Order: sequence, then C-alpha cells, then structure tokens
Amino acid sequence: MAPQRAGQKRKVVEVPRPKQQEEDDALGNGLLDGAIDDGSSSEDGASEDGSEEEFEEDEDEDEELDSDEIPSSEDEEEEDVRQQIRDLKTRDTKKLTGTDTAKDIASISSGTPVKPLADDADKPNYTIETDANGNERYVYKEIEPNYDSDDSDAPDGVNTIGNIPLSYYDAYPHIGYDINGKRIARPAKGEALDSLLDSIDLPEGWTGLTDPATGKPLNLSREELEVLKQLTRNERPGEGYDPYPDMVEWFTGKHNQEIMPLSAAPEPKRRFVPSMHEHKRVMKMVKAIKEGRIQPYREPTEEDKEKDEQEDFATYDVWADEAPRPDHIMNVPAPKLPPPGYEESYHPPAEYLPDKAEREAWEQADEEDRTRDYLPQDHSALRRVPGYARFVKEKFERCLDLYLAPRVRRSKLNIDPESLLPKLPDPAELRPFPDHVATVFKGHDGRVRTVAIDPSGQYLASGGDDGTVRIWELKTGYCFQRVKLSTTDAVNVVSWRPTTDPPILAACCSDSVHFIVPSASVTTPEAETQAIELITAGFNNPNANQPLKTASGADKPSPSSWHRPIPAHGSQGVYLTISLRSMPKTFVWHRRGDYFATVCPNTSATSTAVAIHTLSKHLSQHPFRRLRGLAQTATFHPSKPLFFVATRQRVRVYDLQQQKLERELQPGARWISSISLHPLGSNLIVSSYDRRLLWHDMDLGTTPYKVLRYHDKAIRSAKFHPSLPLFADASDDGSVQVFHGKVVGDSMENATVVPLKVLRGHKVVKELGVLDLDWHPREAWCVSAGADGTVRLWT
Amino acid sequence: MARIKKKGTAGNAKNYMTRSQAVRKLQLSLPDFRRLCIFKGIYPREPRNKKRVNKSSTASTTFYYTKDIQYLLHEPLLAKFRDQKALAKKISKALGRNDVGDAARFEKNLTPKLKLDHIIKERYPTFVDALRDLDDALSMLFLFANLPGNQNVPPKMIARCQRLTMEFEHFLIRTHAMRKSFLSIKGIYYQATIQGQDILWLVPYKFVQTAGPDVDFRIMATFVEFYATLLSFVNYRLYSSIGLVYPPRFDLKSEEQGGELNAFQLEGQQLEAQAEAGSLMDTGANEKAQAEADRLLEAENNGEPQSSYATAPETSVVETTADGETTETPLAALDQFASIDPNANALQQPSLTADSQVAGKLFEPFTFFLSRETPRHSLEFLLKAFGCRRVGWNITLGEGAYCDESDPRITHQIVDRPDIPVPAPEDDDEDAAAARKANERVPGRTYVQPQWVWDSINAGQLQRPDLYAPGATLPPHLSPWVKPKKGEYDPTKSLEEQELEGEAEAAAAEDEDDSGSEGEEVAGVRGDEETAELEDDMAAIEQGEGMDVNLAGSDDESDEADESDEAEEDDDEFGGFSGDEDEDAAADSKSAADAHQAELEAEARGQKVAPAKAPTAKEKVAAAKDKRSRAEREAEEDLERRKMMAPRRKRKMYEKMVYSNARKDEEAERLRDKRRKIEKKGKKAA
Repeated sequence: MAPQRAGQKRKVVEVPRPKQQEEDDALGNGLLDGAIDDGSSSEDGASEDGSEEEFEEDEDEDEELDSDEIPSSEDEEEEDVRQQIRDLKTRDTKKLTGTDTAKDIASISSGTPVKPLADDADKPNYTIETDANGNERYVYKEIEPNYDSDDSDAPDGVNTIGNIPLSYYDAYPHIGYDINGKRIARPAKGEALDSLLDSIDLPEGWTGLTDPATGKPLNLSREELEVLKQLTRNERPGEGYDPYPDMVEWFTGKHNQEIMPLSAAPEPKRRFVPSMHEHKRVMKMVKAIKEGRIQPYREPTEEDKEKDEQEDFATYDVWADEAPRPDHIMNVPAPKLPPPGYEESYHPPAEYLPDKAEREAWEQADEEDRTRDYLPQDHSALRRVPGYARFVKEKFERCLDLYLAPRVRRSKLNIDPESLLPKLPDPAELRPFPDHVATVFKGHDGRVRTVAIDPSGQYLASGGDDGTVRIWELKTGYCFQRVKLSTTDAVNVVSWRPTTDPPILAACCSDSVHFIVPSASVTTPEAETQAIELITAGFNNPNANQPLKTASGADKPSPSSWHRPIPAHGSQGVYLTISLRSMPKTFVWHRRGDYFATVCPNTSATSTAVAIHTLSKHLSQHPFRRLRGLAQTATFHPSKPLFFVATRQRVRVYDLQQQKLERELQPGARWISSISLHPLGSNLIVSSYDRRLLWHDMDLGTTPYKVLRYHDKAIRSAKFHPSLPLFADASDDGSVQVFHGKVVGDSMENATVVPLKVLRGHKVVKELGVLDLDWHPREAWCVSAGADGTVRLWT
Repeated sequence: MARIKKKGTAGNAKNYMTRSQAVRKLQLSLPDFRRLCIFKGIYPREPRNKKRVNKSSTASTTFYYTKDIQYLLHEPLLAKFRDQKALAKKISKALGRNDVGDAARFEKNLTPKLKLDHIIKERYPTFVDALRDLDDALSMLFLFANLPGNQNVPPKMIARCQRLTMEFEHFLIRTHAMRKSFLSIKGIYYQATIQGQDILWLVPYKFVQTAGPDVDFRIMATFVEFYATLLSFVNYRLYSSIGLVYPPRFDLKSEEQGGELNAFQLEGQQLEAQAEAGSLMDTGANEKAQAEADRLLEAENNGEPQSSYATAPETSVVETTADGETTETPLAALDQFASIDPNANALQQPSLTADSQVAGKLFEPFTFFLSRETPRHSLEFLLKAFGCRRVGWNITLGEGAYCDESDPRITHQIVDRPDIPVPAPEDDDEDAAAARKANERVPGRTYVQPQWVWDSINAGQLQRPDLYAPGATLPPHLSPWVKPKKGEYDPTKSLEEQELEGEAEAAAAEDEDDSGSEGEEVAGVRGDEETAELEDDMAAIEQGEGMDVNLAGSDDESDEADESDEAEEDDDEFGGFSGDEDEDAAADSKSAADAHQAELEAEARGQKVAPAKAPTAKEKVAAAKDKRSRAEREAEEDLERRKMMAPRRKRKMYEKMVYSNARKDEEAERLRDKRRKIEKKGKKAA
C-alpha cells in the first residue's frame, strides 16, 4: 500500500508497525486500525504535541479513506483511552530515543535480522560485511540528519503530501495539506479561452510544467533561466565549489617566517666609524673659532652703532639733479594751516577776550559746533602760560586731515557782491515820480473804492462804500460836491469822460450807471449846459430803448434801459441813469468819449457781462455772443479799434471792426484784477490777486516779458501814467509801488523797468489796503483810494 | 555708426575707486594701506559728480583716484610690507611654539628696514617743493621732540626728532632766516623764510603733553617717520648749501648735560672763505626769492590797502649799549611810506624783518642773560637767530652758557618774575638774602620780560624796554601775520579811525539806556586781574629804581600826549554833533519853534527868558541816531530796488556773500563795541 517513493517519515512511522502487526494479527487489521484511530483522534488536543498529532492524522486520513468509523460504546471508552495513552507513551519513548538508533538497538538486541521496512525499497539501506570474527556485520549508511529532523523552518503553505503524484488528488477539491493539516485548495484554473490564449502567447519563463507544490503552471524567472543556461554550457561551477575558501598560510603565519637574510654580505665598517669628512669640517670650524675667524655672537661695536645711526640721517643730496615737474591738474596740495590771529595770543588785546555770555555759549556748544576750538585767554606774564591740553589732539587731527580728508579744488568767488546786482539808473535821473504824500482827502465814510482825476487835472472824483461820489479840488483837498447815489450800495467806479470839455463824470452804483455833470462851481455854466445836452441828446433817438429782435423775430431782452434819473438824483446833478441787469465793476471810456464799456463780472450769463454803449444814441449792445471765461475787466486800445477783455486767467484782444479775436495773452496769473494799457498801446500791465504784476510786451509773445512780485498781498489795481514813463500798482498790503517803465518806440529795444518807490501811508483795514489809484494826466502825481476811508495824493 | 557706449565704463565712473576696492586691488591690509598712503601722500578725492562715480548708490564712501592706486601698485615698499607680514607670521609661529628666543632673533635680524628716500624724491621733485611742505613736518617733529617716550613712541624716535629739529634750528641761526615769532596760548609760532618760501611752524611749550585716548600714535608715528626722513634730507641740502658738513658732530655728553643747541658742532666742508661765499650766495638767492614771494602775496591780496605798516611804532629807538653810550641804531634799510591821503592807494611794502641783514643785526651788539624762569631754548634760539652771539643763562638751565649772571658784559637780562621789593638789609636771615639776591638789579643792565624779545622781532625794531619792565603790565601781544582788511577790526588803530559813521553815538545812547549793567562783565573776564593789579602796584612802587630817568620822563610825556589826544578827540566828537545839527534842519526847525514858543510864553508871563540852552545830550543822540538811520534807510531802499531787478540766481549768490560779509562786519563791530566799553571804563577809573 505504501507508495514506492515513500519518504523517510513514512518509514519512521512504519518502523513500529511490524510489531503491531505482530500483536494485532488476530484482530482484524482494518477494525483495530480504525478503533485506535478513533481513540487517538478523540484524544487529539489533550496531551499530544503538534508534531505527534500530525503524524497520527496523516495516518488517520489515509485510513479514513478506506475504513468507515465504527462508533464505540461509552463505558469501554475510558479503558481504551488509558490503554491508548500507554501505548502512545511507549511509542513515544521509542521515538524519543531516536528513530534510527532505536532501530539499531532493537535489531542488535533482538539479534534477529530486521526485515527491510519498506517493501517497495529495492535496495537495503545497509551493507553486510564480515567482521573480524568472520561474522557478518551490518554496516548502515550514514544518515543525513537534516532530512529526518523536525524541520520547523519549512515554508508556510507548502504542500506536505510528499513525493506522490498530484494526480492522486484529481478527484478532490484540494491538492494536499499544509503543515498545519489544513487543506490546500486547488488553484482556480483558467477558462478554456485563457488556456488557449496562454498557449498562443507564451508568458515569460514558460515551461509547460505544473509546479507540483502549488499546482500552478511552473514559470522560471530570468535568473533561474540564466542559471539553467550556464549549467548547460558548463559555465557554472559544480556542486562542491566553495567561493570563499579558508586562507592557507604558506609563507606567513606562526612558524613560516623567513629566517635567513637575502644577502649574506657582512655590515661595512663605515657603519661603525665616525665620518672622516665631517670630522674634517668640524675641525676646520674649530680652527676658525680658535683663530677668531668665526665668532658665535659679536656685540655690536661702536662703529656698527654709528653706521646704524648714520642711516637715520641723510648722507647724500636727493635733489642733486632736481628737475621741476609740471603741475598736474589732479594734484591737489594740502592747504596750509592759517597763521594764528590776535585772539590766539597769550596776552591779547582785552577786546578779544570772551565775556561771560560768550564763554558760556562756548562751553555749552558741542565740540563740533564751536567756531574755534579754544577760548582766548589772557595771561599777564609768559611764566603763567600753561601747556595747551589739546596740542597732541590737534596735530593728530591735522594728520587725519592730511591723509583721510578728500581734497577738492574750489574756486573762490572773490568779487564785490555789489557787482552781482544790476546797475540801476539813479532815482534822481528818473525824476519826477511821486515819493511823498501831498494831500489827504478825508470825508468818505467807509472804504473809498475808486478815484479818478479829471482830464484837466484839477479835480478829483472819488466813490466809496457810503454810496456817495465826491468831487474834490486836487491841490487843496476841498470838497466841491457830494452826490449821494445810494444809501445801501457802494459806488464801485467813477470815471471822467476823457475829453476836457465839457466835464462829465460817470459813476457806477449797484446795477446802474449815473452820469453826473459837476456843479457850476466846477465848470462854467456854458460847459454845464453843453454837457447836459450831450448826455440827454440820446433821448431823442427813436432806436433807443427799442428791444432788439432775435432771428426768429421775438423780442430780445433788452441789455439795459436808459432813462432819466429819479428826482432825488436829478437834484444832485445826475442827468442820465442806465440800468444794467447786473452790477458793473469796470467802466472804461473810449478815447473819443462817445463809447464806453462796462463789465459786470457777477452776471449770470457770461455773454452779457461785457457791454459797449454809445452815449450819443443811448444804445447798448453786447458784443460777444459767447465769451469763454468770466470777464473781469476790459479796456480800449488808445489808437486802434482794438478791445481788450480780461477774463480770470486770460487777456483777449478783439478787433472791433473785423469783429474777430486778434490774439490771446496768457499772463499766467490765477485771477486777474485789472489791466492797463500803455499809452503807446504796445505794452500791457496785468495785476492779479495772486500778488503778481505782469508786464506784457505785445511784440514779444503771449507770455509776460517781466513778472514782478514785490507785494505781500493781492494787487488790486495797476495803471500806466498817461504821459510819463511811470506806472504804479496798489495792493492790499497798504502800499503803492511806483515803477519807471520806459517803452521805446523802436522794437529792437526792450522796455526798461526800474522800481522807484514804495509809497506807504494807507492803513490796512480788514485786510484791505489800497483799492484803486489813478495818475494825474500830466504831472507825476498819483492818487490812491484806501480802505481806511482816505484818498491820498502823492507828489 | 559708432557703438553705443555702455554706462559706467568710462569717465568719472572709471577714474575713481572706493577705498575697499583699492585695498583689494593692492592686496594689502587696511593698516598697511594707510601707511602706504601716508608715505606716498595719496589722499581721497571728491569727485565732481559723486552720483555717477558711485553708480547711483547713495552710500557715503571715500574715493581715490584710480591712477593714484595704479601708481601704488609698483611701489617697492609693497614688497617690504609683504616681508613684514611674513616675518610677523614667523614670529607668531615661534611664539606659539614657545620659542621666545627665536622670536626675538627674528625680530632683531629679519625686520625689513623701510627706506623712504625714493618717496622723498618722488613727492618733492625739487627742493623748493619740499620747503613748501615743511610746515606740517616741522610742527610734527617739534611736537615729537617734546614728547615723553611710550610704547608707541620709542625713545630712539624722540631722540632723532630732537636732533633733526635742532640741526634745523642751527641752520636758521647760521643764516638768520628767522622772520617772525608769536607767543600763542597753544605754543610758540615761528616763521622762517628759506629760498623765498615762508615756513610757519608751532612748537609746544615745555610741558608734558597729554594725549587723549582717541589719538592713534601709530598714525602719527608713520607721519613722523616720513617727516624725519624729509627733514634729514632738507637739512643735508641746507647744510651743504652753506658749506657745512651734515650731519654735524653731536656731543652726547653735552646733550646729557642739557646743552641742547650747544651739543652740536658745525664744521665747514672746505675752507672757511668758501663757506662765506656760499652763505653770501644763499642770501642773494633769498632776496630774489623774497621778491618773488612778495609779488605773489601782492597778487593774492589784490591791492587792498594795507595800513598796518604805516602805523608801526615811530618812537625813535634809543638804546643803552654795554658802555652806557646812547647810540641811534641804524634803522632798517627800507623806509616806511605812510600814505597821507586816505583815499590814495596804499602800496604793498615789504615788512621790516623781511631782510636777513636786518634780522642778523637786531640783537647783535648785546649780551643777554636769561633768568632761571624763562624758556631758555626758545629765547636762546631766537636771540641767536637774530644776531646775538652772547647768551648766558643760569647753570640750572643747562650747559653751554656764555656767561653767568655776575658777568659785567651783560647788557640785557630777561626776567619773568613779579617785581618784589628788595627786603631791607637789616633782617639778615638767609631767605631774605636769597630773595635780595634774586631781585637785585645790576645797574646798567636792562631788565625786560620775555615778550620784549618777541615784540622786537616782529616789529623789526627794538621796543621800548620800559614797557616790558619786570612786573609791568605788558602791552598786548599781537600776531604779526594778521593783515587787517577793509572793514575789519584792527587793534593797532584807534577806535575813532575805524568806527562807522554814527556808531559811537549810537553806542553811547545804548550805554545810557543800560548803564551799569555792563561794568562787571568785562571785569569778570580777565582771569588773573588781581595779580595784574598787584603787579601794577609794585611797579608803581619800584618804578624809579631800576629804570633810567629819561625813560620815566618819556613815559610822562607820552601820558600827556595821550591826554591831549583824548581832549582833541572830545573836541572832535563835539564838532561832529554840531555838524549834525546843521545838516538836520528838518529836525531842528521843530525844536527851534518849540524854543520860540517857550520864549514867547515866558515873556507873556513876565519871566526872564531862560538862556537858549544847547540841545541836551539825549536830543543830540537822538538826532545822530535819526541821521544815521535815515542814511541807512536810503541805502537800504536803493539796495532793495536793485535786488528786485536782479535775476534770481544772482540774487541768491549776492545774499550769500552779503551774509558772510555781514558776519565779518558783525564780528568787527562787536570787537569795537567791547573796546569802547573797556576804554570808557578805563577813563572812568582814571
């Protein structure tokens, strides 16, 4: 029954079998087998150790295949169990004594030839020899211990069925048992298609064999294949090859050293005798020392010292062949220290000594801030002079300066500072100009806003916050006439008609313009009637006060209305009143006295701000359909039909005949206050609230020729003298500045502007100083209207 | 088309390098670089466009001129520095091994010796260049000659400095090249003129010099090393130019005895006659050079009126020689031109001491004796340099005196001690005897304080010895180098000469306002006033004894003259006031009207008319003030107008210049004001 290729284990189990067989021959082999098996199986986990059990089970399983279990009675069981245990124990002892030796002993002791155990085994595991006595003797082969020993290192999950064909298990779902007796399941087989595919493209290392251990197809790895290949080519060392053999010490080691020398020549004598050559040299030195030629250490003699010292002093002339070198621009010689001054003396004049305050200031100042690093001191005698404590420090600082301070050549400007300023003509040469106040006109209640001198130069008109217009005699300051125009509103502008006779005065108060003919005391009666006629002639004009038609035929709102004055005014010499729709701030006459222009900066529509009126026809018109910017002031050209309009920042020049914009000037001011044109018409001064006075030369371009900034406050007004080369400006700082401004007709020469005089006298009231000024038509006299309620005449 | 140039590759960016760049380029340590710079005279520069040089970095650095550094690369001293570095390594290694003996041997034998001869030649291609740069060298060497030795300043270096400076002084004595000297609180300034070059140096007083912790003696020692080499070559040249052997023989024993200048023995190179010729030649050269120097000076000052010489003391110099005869000293070869018209241009005139002939004869006929308390070295040097050959001193001051105190040949004795009255011969204890001996006056001798020597030298004439008598209050000692410019304060002139118009009156007005407060301020300033007073008193007591009678008389005369001067001045002032009145008609008319009104009122009341009293002092002052202020105002207005019309750039420049000028004026005015107060106080006291 046992398979031919049964392993050693099997044999071991079989060894006792013959005995049992002997015992149990009477009993039915199968029955008893089963009973024992049963018992052993019932006792399974009780006392047997794992390995024992396995063996049992192995048998069990074998048995079970063919014999069915026979149930045993309960009472018998105990007895049986004990018996079995006993049996087992005996078996154990046999086993424990060692399987093979036990066999040996048994065989020897019995003295009977032991029947070969494996009936299938073709040759016995021993040889029979004859011993010394001629008896035969069984010589067993040596048994390799490892195959028989309990090998616990066996890999897990390895099939333990032993060396039997796997086909035995074909009928079962498992293919064997692992070391714990658990069944190893048959690996899942691929479908037919898989196997087909496998057969078509062979996987790597395919052998077509089945691994008996696992039942899976046996594939060889690359290394294994390589080994196989090497084996076939005889490239692999055989079984017994030891790659790391023990070293064999042929020549070294304990007793293997070479003892005999290589050469047998004896040591030369020179190895034992002092060198002759060295001896000779030493003797030479000894001789030299004896003779004094060599001295181990010599004190420096006087000569040496002297020589040393001589080296400290020059022994030749470095400049024996001196050749001057031209100075290089990059060579900056160190500046010499300045020679000492009087204050450095040990006994200086008394005025150089510091007083208490100076001494304190010097002592408290930081060392670096001091102008000089010593205090002048006085010592009455030379013996009292102490050492100067900072001497070394000072010299050290000089050294630092010499090699650390960057040097630079600086050219010093050694000129008289006066030569930097322009040479101005002597003011005496530029006379006449007003330089002092001649008359103060007092009478106005509140500010005086405007002044004007009549063309004859005898009278002065002024208007102020009290709503009155006053006419004064210029030289004496006597008030001829007082016209009360309003109780609430101020008189903004007064202006005389530019022709001498008859005298007509225009005054702007609130939104109306009044024409006043001075009383008879000022003029002759004829002139007065002439003036009244001139003013009132326009009432006969049928076109006057006719509303203009627009293009569509509708009435245009009339820019102004010309009417007779209210009786209160009429009695005071007012003969004509024009009502504008806004408050005029500027009133300028054309030179012929028939036209005049008003500017109302506060009007709502910018187009109606500027109006040009004709006195003889009582006509008003707005020349500008549209005006860019807010008009501030305007003026007529003295000889050409040009009209200058100043908006806040620009001055535009219009040609009245061709009705087009001639040019635009850009003074650069932020808010122009007034403009004035030179009598020749080619130069314009623009005053601005941002404290600048700008001189424009019309030939030179749109930007100012000179910008003068000498006022601390806004400039209210600026005016050219009608005949002399003078101009003046009035400012809120309470001063009037008078300039010489000479314009030459030759365009090759620029205008000369020379400041002449600052006229101070007006008081500043509520941050307002001088509000207006005007020039006398012929003399170098000037009147100014102050916010302090006075008018001053400067001559 | 030309290639576009890269930024920073040419021009200023390449012309300058920072210090660290330079150090890296030379492969030196920073201290070595510093030494090299000191020796070679390399200094940092201030590039014109710093931003471009610094490649727009704003870090503040010092810049060296690249060519300077390039030139340092080939310096033989660099090799020496490297040797030194190697030696230092050897020594430190030996010390690390504890081989102290080895280290000492290395240091002794292997230390490389720096020779700076070639650098002298490089830096000063001609001898005149060297002379021009001698100021700092002399100051430094004289300082080191007076320093105590310490670890940074070896005694050998000090001895060398002493020898070199004294050799130089010997040359100055021999050639009479000294020109001026000045006693300052820092030390004594000397000025010599050699080959037309003015050399000015400062010698500290003989006290132990203290140096703060922030003084690096290594740097100074480097400078001194260079300067010593320089001065030794200069001395060689100078000595050989007058036919002397250089170095002169130096007597160590005499030096130990305090021989100072006398420890040297000058030897002629060849025959004495030749030496004479040499010295003559040298003086000839001097004259030519001086003329050149004067020309330069003139160019510098640009014809500004110089008036200090015009006011040089005109007292006729009367001296008593050893024999007691009075002789008129031969006045200097040059006459002084005093300008009569103040508006005329004053010409530049050479100073009195500019001539070596004068310098050599100033003290020639006299025999001096220096008292124990006087600074022997400087006095001996100066007296000898200005022609005196016979200078004696107390034996305690050192060896080599010409005579001792009792010698009858002595004409002048320089004394610097308070004039204590001789105790009466009755109390015959030893102290009194000693004191008497110390204060005894030998008849026929002139006793003066040391300042007399300096003032005589600077004036080029012997000063009146009575002003410098022992115990007398000395006249102020003035610096000879200050050339007062127009508008600056000049203490040699009287106050009236330099005051601005109306200044005195304004000041007087102020004084009246705050009189009394200013008195003690000035008094408090003078530190040792009490002692001065004490001395004054003593002088007053002693005056008659030691002095010649005629001198005292002259003193009186001068006093009288002073008084009369003052009177005149007063008159002038008065006249000035009346003049003002005349001019100031406007102001006067009002006061006249007032006076008239008062007269009328008085008449109405029947009283006697009070005599029309002269305007009170206050009114006068006010008038003067008014006048001054009006003139000022007018000028101011004019200036303001001109400034208005000047372009902005010029206006700024003008304002800057005016500011600095104003500071000078302010200073001058401050000094005048002080002097006025002092004079007033003096008058009050008198």
